[in-house]
Amino acid sequence: MVYITSWDEFVDRTVQLYRADPDSTRYVMKYRHCDGKLVLKVTDNKQCLKYKTDQSQEAKKMEKLNNIFFTLMARGPEVDLSEVTGKEQTDAQPAKRGRGRKQ
Amino acid sequence: MVLLQLDPFLNELTSLFERSTEKGSVWVTLKRSSLKSKVQRNKLATAGEAIEYRCLIRATDGKKTISTSVGPKDHQRFQASYATILKAHMTALKKRERKDKKKSAEADKREGSSKRPKKALKV
Repeated sequence: MVYITSWDEFVDRTVQLYRADPDSTRYVMKYRHCDGKLVLKVTDNKQCLKYKTDQSQEAKKMEKLNNIFFTLMARGPEVDLSEVTGKEQTDAQPAKRGRGRKQ
Repeated sequence: MVLLQLDPFLNELTSLFERSTEKGSVWVTLKRSSLKSKVQRNKLATAGEAIEYRCLIRATDGKKTISTSVGPKDHQRFQASYATILKAHMTALKKRERKDKKKSAEADKREGSSKRPKKALKV
């Protein structure tokens, strides 16, 4: 599988892939210290999306993607991600939890 | 593979990173899971009960595997500690080159400004 070069495209496609099949999609991060390389992979066993970088700048973006996937996986795929990507996630938290319990 | 509590997992993750600095890689996988077998899931489904999902986190260096799971209540806390560990250990990644240029430009300015007063004093 070819690496995706655009970060925004990678984020969009991985979230789409996960939402299409939440039960079999996994998100893998591989870090190799001696080569200073970071590879992110999201796959549902049919399609595989990968992103590679050696820039510490990109690690910060990865942190945001980590947050997206933690939220999607711990709370469910139907969660509204605008809260996670925005900075005011702590304020919006209680309302979100309430909604989760009702289901 | 045993499921660890959150804090022991984070400690183990730290040592995985520390052990792989000279050679080797660390993999961390996130997956949504109910942590139940298919039979159990089917039972719940036929009983009409909702299946509770959690986020399963597995980490390995190719030899040792550790795992933990976070639910909707504790994922935010875990997320923060996890990000801190990553930041502390992903030090081999390259810094942006632009910053260096800025620094050197600033250094030039300082030298330039410090020279002028000196000249003024001499005169």
